Parts: sequence; C-alpha cells; structure tokens
Amino acid sequence: MIVRAILVALIATCSSWWFSHVITRTWLYPIWSGFLVGIVMGQPMEGMMLAAAINLPYVGFITAGGSMPGNAMFAGSVGTALGLVSGLDMNTATTIGVLLGSVAVMIWNIYMSVNSVWVHMADKAAAKGDLKMIRFYNYVPSFFVSLIINGGPAFLIVMKGAVVGDWLAAMPQWIIDGFAMVGGILPALGIGMLLNYLSQTKKLLPFFFLGFFLAQFLGLGTMAITVFGAIIAFILYLFGEDKKDKEVA
Amino acid sequence: MAEKQLQKSDLVKNWLLGYSSETCYNYERLQALGNANAFIPIIKRLYEPDQYAQEISKYMNFFNTEPSYMGTVIHGITAAMEEKRANDGDITIDEILSVRSALMGPLAGIGDVVSQSIVYPILAGVCIQLALAGNYAGPILFEVIYKVIMLTLGYNMYMMGYKQGKSAIITFLKTGVLNKMLDLVSIVGLMVVGSMAVNNITYNLSLIGWEVQNEIGSVAFNLQETVLDALLPGILPLALVLAVRELLKKRTKPTTIILLMFVLAFITVGLGALCGAY
Repeated sequence: MIVRAILVALIATCSSWWFSHVITRTWLYPIWSGFLVGIVMGQPMEGMMLAAAINLPYVGFITAGGSMPGNAMFAGSVGTALGLVSGLDMNTATTIGVLLGSVAVMIWNIYMSVNSVWVHMADKAAAKGDLKMIRFYNYVPSFFVSLIINGGPAFLIVMKGAVVGDWLAAMPQWIIDGFAMVGGILPALGIGMLLNYLSQTKKLLPFFFLGFFLAQFLGLGTMAITVFGAIIAFILYLFGEDKKDKEVA
Repeated sequence: MAEKQLQKSDLVKNWLLGYSSETCYNYERLQALGNANAFIPIIKRLYEPDQYAQEISKYMNFFNTEPSYMGTVIHGITAAMEEKRANDGDITIDEILSVRSALMGPLAGIGDVVSQSIVYPILAGVCIQLALAGNYAGPILFEVIYKVIMLTLGYNMYMMGYKQGKSAIITFLKTGVLNKMLDLVSIVGLMVVGSMAVNNITYNLSLIGWEVQNEIGSVAFNLQETVLDALLPGILPLALVLAVRELLKKRTKPTTIILLMFVLAFITVGLGALCGAY
C-alpha cells in the first residue's frame, strides 16, 4: 500500500507541477490523471469510471492567468484515490471530489504564491548570466512545493482515506441520498459553463437544443451527435462560402 | 565575423522547452522564468558568455500566454528576432519585449478558446461517455488525440512565427478566418453539450409522491412520473443547465453555484422525507 500511496502522491504532485506540458498538459483533467491513479492503485476500471464521473463538473473548466474556479487537478487525482480506498459510488465520489477541488483552490493559491520566491532567486542568477541556475530554479524548487502541498495530502488519503467511507456509511440514509443526489446535479455546472462559453454568439444557441432533443427523443449517443454536428457545421461552411461568392459577383 | 544562425535543433529545443513555461508557475510573473528557461538554447547559440546576463534577463519580465497550442508562435517570432539582433544588432531589447507583450494577450485569448473551450470539452465530452461505459478507449483516446492536436498546432505555429515573423500572425488575426472556424466548431461543441445534459445529469423528483385513497380506489401520484415525464422527459436537467448559464451570466461564482446545488439536493431529499420516503 505504501508504494501505491507514493505513486499516487507523485501523480498528484505532477498534476500541479507541470514539468513539461508535452506530458502533463492532460494531467490537469481528472479523466486522465484519475485513470493514472486507478492504474497505480491496481483498479484501472473502477478508477477510470470514478475519474470520468469526477471530470463531469469540470468539463467547463478554464484557467486563465493562473486563476481557476476549482482545483480540478486535486479533485481528479486525490478524489479518485479517495473514491477507490473508501469504495464510493460514482455520484458520491463526484460530490466528494468536487468538495475536495473547492477546498484545494487554497492549495493552488499557495503554490502560485510561494513560487514567486524562486523567480526572485532566478533574477539574481540571470543577472550573473548563470544559465544553469535559471534552469534549476525553473524545475526543482516548485517540485518540492507541489510534493508537500499536493503529494502530502494524496499520500495521507491513500493510507488513511478508508475512514471516509466508514463515516459516510454511518450517516442516516437521507444524508447519504442527499450526497449522491448532489453528485448527479453537479455535472450541470460543467455543462452550463460550457454552454455559457460556446453560446456567446447568441445565434448558435439553437444547436444546444438540437443536441439535447436528439439525445432525449431519439436516444442518440454523444459520438453520433458529434458526427451529425460536424456534418451540419460542414454544410453551413459550404453554404456560407457560396453566399459570399455570390455577393462578390 | 561569420553569420550566426540558429540550427533546426535549437528551434525544436526552444519549442519543446516552451512546454515547461508553467513549471514554476506563479502569480507574480506567471511564465517569465519558464520562458527564460526555454530561450537558453537560443541564447547559447547566438551570444558570447559575457552577453548571457543581458540577453537572458529580458525574459524575466512578466509574461503570460497560452503556451501549448497557439502561443508557441510568439517564441518562433522571438527566436527570429534574436537571430537578427545577434547578427546586425539593429533590433533592440525593447523591440523584442514590445512584440512579445503585444502578442501575448491576443494569443492567450485564442489559445485558451482553442485548447480549453473547444478541444478539451468536445474531446472530454465524448471520452467521458466511453469511460463511464467501462471502455478503456475513453481516457486513452483523450490522451492521444489531445496531444496530437496540441503538438501539431504548437509546432506549426512556432515554425510559422519563426519563418514569417510577426506580420504573418497579425494578418492572420485580422482576416477573421479564425472566428468563422470557431463558430463552426462551436456548433459541434454545443450539440455535444446538449447531449451531455441528457446523458450526464441525474436529477428527478421521483421521491415526491403519495397515494390518494378515495371511493374509486387508490390513485398513485408521483411528481416526476405523473407530471414532469408527461410534460417533457429531461425537463429538469435542461432547466438546471439553463439556470447555471443564467447564474454565470450574472457573474455568480462557481463555488456559490455548487453550494446552491447542495441546497437543492437536500431540499429535494427533505420533501421526499415529508412524503414518507424515509
């Protein structure tokens, strides 16, 4: 168990300490980082499904300039680990994961603030033209910051997190049901955020309803709807060009 | 003096090291240190050791853009400017800095739209369904396709910046081709979002119901099955999504929305308890 805990701690560390986005860019998202947690915990299938569920409220997740609405990295890695060690179902895991992600915004803020210190040290190295030390300050100190504030909690969750499952099981049924129900509602946050971004040009809003009713009434899956969406977009593109040609002529 | 020229390997290193722009991410100067790190191969190739201090220090200024998909073009442009500066010296540090700071905002905007509100959500939307259905293709496709798009765009933007300089990207930004493309991709995105509202939100009022006894017999009433499903199945998930959108438009914080969702769930459970569910 201790090896697994260390590996999960490293995944949690690298979800925030982005040593190279060639590798870590997707570690921001629970669907991938949580899947990795599932693999090292020896439960890839359960881990993958919990991670996907935890990812849903974060499908509208956008970070800009280092500020973020919830710590998806922490929710994805630590949330999946907690779900696995305490045997949570998908909805409850989503609720707990999002709660963790909300609290862990603090962890992210600490990380972003503490790292400023290394930049000042790198300034001095730059003034001396010491390129090696610049490289050192870019990569090394922030790793240890992330290891302590992300890896530490992740390690503890894997070692001791099973108690959370016991606490939940000891609660009255209506609280358990309430927690699961929140998990079912939370994806509406991510989906609503996405809708908000994508429908900023108002004329596109009907396509949201088109997708909704295709799924609701015809029972089409997401893949089928993606294909239809691409075809519609292509047709509109062709006719849009056509119109432009005529206007020119 | 021989002409100093950047090798292809320097450019590739510069491009790849750009992906470490956010390794020491911080609120004070964001990607500054990461950029200094990325330009080490360029500086080493073009300048003498006694110039290192002056030339690397310009990258320690505040810098932030979208570093993986589109923002790489700025590094390409900068590398070309550095090469010119090292050779004939008629480009000043201030010129390099002003080009970089003029471009970082617009490219952060476009890059974030492409990476975070187009590629990520559409891909995640499809892959999450696969994963929830217990198919390993979900996370694996997500990882592979995301990286392929990211590296292809990132590399080509970098090389475009290096070869064509800042005028190319400015012309490109002005044509509006990108906005047209984004509109089209948004159509796919919105349809996926619509289907996710059906498939991924679980909220119903089936806890609320009772049986009425009268002389004809007993009639079961259930708010979800008798009323809402008859009206429009899926009306509640749809309402939830539209409500979230309205709240976001009123600049409600996501944390507040999460809190409201807790309240909603526990009110529903409470009403269920009143109807004798517990």
